[in-house]
Amino acid sequence: MLFHTLPFLLFMAVALPGFYALRRTPLWAPWLLAASYFFYGWWNPWYLLLVVYSTGLDFLLVLLMDHCPARGEAAPERRDRTLRWALAAFGAAAAALAVGAVAGPAPLRPTLLAFTALVGLMALGAALADRRVWLFISLFNNLFLLLFFKYARFVAGNVNAALGALGSPLAMPDPASLTPPGWEYLLPVGISFFTFQSMSYTIDFYLGRVERERSLLRFATFVCFFPQLMAGPIERARNMLPQFRRPQPFRPRNLTDGLSLFLVGLFKKLALANYLSLYVERVYSDPASFGSPDLLLATFAFAWQIFFDFSGYTDMARGVARMMGFHLTLNFRNPYTATGLGDFWQRWHISLSSWFRDYVYIPLGGSRGGKAATYRNLFVTFLVSGVWHGANWTFAVWGVMHAVGVIATRELERSPFYHHRVPRLLKQAGVFAYVCVAWVFFRAADVPQALLILRGMFAGPWTAPGAPGLMLALVGGVWVYQFAYESRWRPMLAAAPVRVGLAACMALYLALCSSGGGAFIYFQF
Amino acid sequence: MSETHAPAPRPEPPEPPFGVNEMRLAGRHWLAVAALLLAFVGLAPILWDRWERFEPGPDYRVPYALSSDYRHTRRRLDAVPPGSIPVVGDSVVWGEYVRADGSLSHFLSREAGRPGRFANCGIDGVFPLAIEGLVTHYGGALRSRKALLQCNMLWMSSPQSDLSSEKEETFNHAALVPQRFGAVPCYRADAAARLGAVVARSVGFFGWVSHLNSRYFDQASLPQWTLSEPTPGSHPNAWRLPGPALSLDEPASDPRRGPSSPRHKPWTAGGGSPQSFEWVGLDASLQWAAFRRTVATLRDRGCDVMVVVGPFNEHMVAPEQRPTFRALRDGIAGRLRWDGVANVVPEALPSALYADASHPLTEGYAELARRLWRDPAFHAWATR
Repeated sequence: MLFHTLPFLLFMAVALPGFYALRRTPLWAPWLLAASYFFYGWWNPWYLLLVVYSTGLDFLLVLLMDHCPARGEAAPERRDRTLRWALAAFGAAAAALAVGAVAGPAPLRPTLLAFTALVGLMALGAALADRRVWLFISLFNNLFLLLFFKYARFVAGNVNAALGALGSPLAMPDPASLTPPGWEYLLPVGISFFTFQSMSYTIDFYLGRVERERSLLRFATFVCFFPQLMAGPIERARNMLPQFRRPQPFRPRNLTDGLSLFLVGLFKKLALANYLSLYVERVYSDPASFGSPDLLLATFAFAWQIFFDFSGYTDMARGVARMMGFHLTLNFRNPYTATGLGDFWQRWHISLSSWFRDYVYIPLGGSRGGKAATYRNLFVTFLVSGVWHGANWTFAVWGVMHAVGVIATRELERSPFYHHRVPRLLKQAGVFAYVCVAWVFFRAADVPQALLILRGMFAGPWTAPGAPGLMLALVGGVWVYQFAYESRWRPMLAAAPVRVGLAACMALYLALCSSGGGAFIYFQF
Repeated sequence: MSETHAPAPRPEPPEPPFGVNEMRLAGRHWLAVAALLLAFVGLAPILWDRWERFEPGPDYRVPYALSSDYRHTRRRLDAVPPGSIPVVGDSVVWGEYVRADGSLSHFLSREAGRPGRFANCGIDGVFPLAIEGLVTHYGGALRSRKALLQCNMLWMSSPQSDLSSEKEETFNHAALVPQRFGAVPCYRADAAARLGAVVARSVGFFGWVSHLNSRYFDQASLPQWTLSEPTPGSHPNAWRLPGPALSLDEPASDPRRGPSSPRHKPWTAGGGSPQSFEWVGLDASLQWAAFRRTVATLRDRGCDVMVVVGPFNEHMVAPEQRPTFRALRDGIAGRLRWDGVANVVPEALPSALYADASHPLTEGYAELARRLWRDPAFHAWATR
């Protein structure tokens, strides 16, 4: 169910009044959870099993973690009763699963083996009564899900190619052959988002940053909250769980704010992203047939397409949540006005970049170990961030390019000349151009195609481009608005007639010239 | 005595920033936006109709390019003068292979001795299930007047044509068929497409937008129009302003029709031979049921309905199947009679006057009109 479709409108026509009607009763949270599961199950009800499993396991792991001594605490003399029960239960379950994995039906054996390992680890965690084991299980489980559903085929393909090149008769099995019979091997929508959100809760609890959530219902709602389930923002437990602990009062301002955000998001998606995608798709599907101007303009268009698509989704998600009184994190801050790559990542997909900062970059040592260590940490963080986006070498190259860009602009900013003398607009133009070149790898089907496009951009024939003037004018208008917003002209944009006029124009454009549907790009991640 | 204190309420977490634009509208702003939108949505189509004049001549037919512009079809039906009889049907009425002055309505008008006595209200590409939708949702003008309906048996010649097969089919004018899940088994649109079709037919503004797209932007949305590429490498609209495209000119009739067109030739000229058809029985036929409901709708609106069954190209039916075909044709006539609906079943035209299984050539239409006019029941109905 996409935000910009009629089924979602109907869904909201039921979910929102139901939420308002129940907000003074204890039923509002179950209602929200039921709505979220319905929303997610709309794509494929089987995916729900994965969300429920991931949610239930992380809730249980934190519960058991809570029965273990915290860091620095002495272990109690007598073993915790819950952990004793857990040890018995997990031990028995692991033994039973191991029998099934050895002697059970052959098609189920890989699945049973995976569960034997997981439950065996849980028995070990109960035996050792060590929080680190529970944290490890949570990380192992979430990353295993991601690895299996998102990267297994990519890894198997590359390993098998390497083995084949070495003349080895060995080969990794296709991951589809490891799923239970009758199950289709598909990438569950939004898996990267809900696993990261759930994982952040266990890490934060382990680090003592967040209290244990005692209600499974509330925790499940946090993991599966429908506005941000598919493509973020990736929320933290400390931001969302307190909001789910108290009913949200009805405030008309929330409704009007939510509608404002939703309209802007809808315009970004339907009027801009989908329009740009028509041109980008034409050029990128057959780049060899286009000259330099088209390749340059299509890359420029893709930079804006992905911004409008993703930030439009986020605006709509924040708008829907706001209508119910919930505040989601800001995820974009006009990234194409950034003056450095570091600045860009404080403006682009903020919830993801702060996730990687908090859970990858800082644990690696952050900037505490000197310049070389800092740059190594930045490099690793951006590489992982790139790979998070998809199972393709192009995403790894994209991540590396951003790591190099961040390090380079960081160094440049240290030079007084660059810091003080280079005009801000020139820095912004440079950052935008660099980001555009990196987007080529993000959008291309594979690395050779990306290189072909890059060559074509600078050395292709100079033919008349087919980029429509209307499209460029719309993008130009938005860019001017963003620059004005970050300048002294901002009060002019806040004038009521300007706001009303722009909102009416956006709504009319949507009604008259919408470019049709299409799923959000970030759903595939 | 110790004093008990209620625990201090937890401080509210700081509210994240609203966004990175100034598009934060309060209630009164939304009211202003709604007023502006409602004014535009309500007034624009009305004012547009005044600006974009529509004066169909006696042989007018809806251009092929506007077949899916149902708002235009509504205007066409509205514009049928009181003394004219609308002829409603699919491409047989519209005239697939002939020019507008070679269609059934033209020759019927000639027989009647009055240009425009019969108005061509056929739409290319429709079928009984779509005609039902057209009449129900856009045919309000078909009320308390005579109406001539053509029943094309081609739509019952196979489960695929009847749309009653379970296998998914893609077909024209899907927005006109019943959108209920299961109503048309081979129609597998998702809920969003079905809801969209219902909303589009219910809200006039969307019909107007579709009209603009169909008529001025090559049946595409404005963004798609700016990206049109008729031949590889040519982008005629990339830098064209949309304003001048609103020229008010109606799309030209398709030139590939009429006696001078290479398509205008007897069905046997291309090596055609008799075929077997998988006729669908009337009790099982979705198209027949839709046709019957259309007749009922028109009669409920006070219309005096006459049905012409055929003229199907019987020469194209394999000899051993002709009895089945005739039984079906007679069954249609019988059921119409049972329902009290006037009908006429013209005999098949000479083979050389057909272009395919159901469409006559120009001379075929002329002959059909002559036969209909000579039919006492038809003549009496048309002249009373």
